[in-house]
Amino acid sequence: MLPYVARRAVWLTAYLVLVLAPVLALLLGDVPPARGFWTEFSSAIAYAGLMMMGLQFGLTARFRYVTEPWGEDVIYHFHRLLSLVALGLVIAHPIILFAIDPARLRLLNFFQAPPVARWAALSTYSLIALVAMSLWRVRLRIRYEIWHSTHILLAVVAIIAGMIHMIGWGFYLVDLRKRALWIGLSIFWICLLLYVRIVKPLFILRRPYAVTEVRKELGDSWTLVMQPHRHSGFRFTPGQFGWLTIWGGPFQITGHPFSFSSSAEVADGRVEMTIRNLGDLTSKIHEVPIGRRVYIDGPYGAFTIGNPADMHVLIAGGVGITPMMSMIRTLADRGDKRPVVLIYGSGDWESITFREELKALEKRLDLEVVHVLLSPPAGWEGEKGFIDAEVMMRHLPPPYRDHEYFICGPNPMMDAIEKALGEMHVPLAKYHSERYSFV
Amino acid sequence: MRRLLAERLVVATGLIVILMSALFAYLRVST
Repeated sequence: MLPYVARRAVWLTAYLVLVLAPVLALLLGDVPPARGFWTEFSSAIAYAGLMMMGLQFGLTARFRYVTEPWGEDVIYHFHRLLSLVALGLVIAHPIILFAIDPARLRLLNFFQAPPVARWAALSTYSLIALVAMSLWRVRLRIRYEIWHSTHILLAVVAIIAGMIHMIGWGFYLVDLRKRALWIGLSIFWICLLLYVRIVKPLFILRRPYAVTEVRKELGDSWTLVMQPHRHSGFRFTPGQFGWLTIWGGPFQITGHPFSFSSSAEVADGRVEMTIRNLGDLTSKIHEVPIGRRVYIDGPYGAFTIGNPADMHVLIAGGVGITPMMSMIRTLADRGDKRPVVLIYGSGDWESITFREELKALEKRLDLEVVHVLLSPPAGWEGEKGFIDAEVMMRHLPPPYRDHEYFICGPNPMMDAIEKALGEMHVPLAKYHSERYSFV
Repeated sequence: MRRLLAERLVVATGLIVILMSALFAYLRVST
């Protein structure tokens, strides 16, 4: 297996080749007479933009080999940013054409424009709506499930309408081989979507889990204990997560990503997820009946222990403790002798999820738990406020760059810690982070 | 920081795509 850095380089190169090769293939064989530079440029960026849109289906198809070197949160960050680039390219295409010949502005009249221009408009408007809904989903108060269904629908419309526009316009795609290439690519993208939404759920359907316990935890959180039903389950690495579907089957767009909180050393395939009440679907976890059949698509994520390290430093904020708990429980079950420092930020003493178990684990493992409280009780002598470089340096032995760091928590905390680690001269390769709000 | 790396890679990807599109147009008009 290649190291992550090499695999990242391979995937980046593959991505660029996949975007550019079909565009440059338009130059092969019989080509129509050239138009001006800017017209040709605007065509090329439109083709590249469509390719980037299509490849988004691949980025979100949850192929483990693709996502592993990056981490799922970075892949989704890529996905979001690349959609902005693709949108920019697609919008720049007509703008350049309008600038070359302002008479073309009449094509903006959707009802009087020829069909080939209407398909282009439909594709562009779908893409704009898709990006706008994704950027402002929370602000627009669109429910996750509604947004997700609409997102997929708009993506398919944007791709198909864009392709019809290109074929309708002809020009490069008059050549049958080139037309076949681009139609084939579009079919492939749609097949990726069908794989994620139909083929994969079929496999997941055959491997259900049964809820065997719903356990109350401190910090308004609940742990779901799930046992594989008539199969052996899967092995995961501590720190990984799965897409959990509780209500409905795996075909519905109701899966939500949650970290495993249980030890990876459990032999019978049982997995646990600890979920904090954040007001949405998570507010109904305590209502899940015992015996309920649920579905888990996983494991995913590169936020895992395994690299050689003199010391594991786990930095958690709130419910970000769940993957850390899996790591600590696993290290304890494995009898790992290396020191572990958990710096754990919580609101107050009573909202510290796993507080008592962590205290017990300090006896089984070389574990030091440092609680950092926002609202400490009277007489509290521990750390208070937010986790920063000073807190870390008070509890970690130098040299800081030798330890392996894992960070999970709310976005502002993650940004602050990553900055602090930079100030402590900890190299990028030594710390791992996972943002649980990546979708 | 990892997100920053991702952001830089996306910017680099966008620039490469734009430059290659310009090359495409240049090759078309110059041959």
